[in-house]
Amino acid sequence: MDTLKRGFHKGLSTTWMLSKVVVPIYMVVTVLSFTPLLGKIADFCAPFMKYVGLPGEASLALVIGNVLNMYAAIGVITSLHLEPREITIIAMMLLFSHTLPVECAVAGKSGINPWIIGLGRITVAIFAGIILNITL
Amino acid sequence: MDWLEIIKISLTGSLKNVLQMALIIFPMMIILEIARDMKLLDRIAKWMAPAMRFFRLPKEGAFPILIGLTFGLAYGAGVIIDSVKEGHLSWRDLFLINIFLVLCHSVVEDTALFIAIGADGSIILGCRVLLALVVTFFLSRWGGLAKLEPLLAGKLIVPHCSHCEKS
Repeated sequence: MDTLKRGFHKGLSTTWMLSKVVVPIYMVVTVLSFTPLLGKIADFCAPFMKYVGLPGEASLALVIGNVLNMYAAIGVITSLHLEPREITIIAMMLLFSHTLPVECAVAGKSGINPWIIGLGRITVAIFAGIILNITL
Repeated sequence: MDWLEIIKISLTGSLKNVLQMALIIFPMMIILEIARDMKLLDRIAKWMAPAMRFFRLPKEGAFPILIGLTFGLAYGAGVIIDSVKEGHLSWRDLFLINIFLVLCHSVVEDTALFIAIGADGSIILGCRVLLALVVTFFLSRWGGLAKLEPLLAGKLIVPHCSHCEKS
């Protein structure tokens, strides 16, 4: 009984702690997704897509995946009709760097500077894209 | 789309998010506590100790890594914070576990998701695991890591539990 109580208490405090981080960020990001901002960032990134072997429209999937989440990004990817090679590249890039506002804030809660983690993940994703574009 | 609608969508979305986290975190924490009582956690930790030695981490580092690999980053972070409160992990341990999990987490769900839309599963999983192993290994052998703490540390660090002195 004591064990259950302790587990319940830990579950409650962990859920509460994560909610305090996730909810405000999730709300801001959702509101942002209804503004033209994400489209503008995607337009800005589109010319650079050729370095990772992807068509310009794929930048929207990357931006949405990084700002919102991977499910939304996959929705965009399926509408693009990419080749298997391109899907592998964009999947690799998204797996290294996704849902950044929420995940970086969570990493920040567990003791690392969220900005450094975020920038690091974007860098890793870009290099992964460039390297896969050369090797695949 | 008017503002009221947008706020409604973001509110229900975040509530769903919290509910989904609770549905995983509550059973996870209760199972972890039961496993702790049955000394099962000690056994798993002992079994994982060689893998942890590869990163020069204490055996307690195994739980956040296992949870993060299977369930996801946020759940791994929940266990990390719990371990820090109990005084098992130092800042260096935290940092290494975080780096490993940031590069490679929730491997089952994430990989399946992209295989389903046509990605090469062995490449996307293999690269993630390999990079996480290599980066974490080199960082764990690097002496300058401790000096980076003021630069890299986030705000929350709980070196000792505030209300109980014992672990």
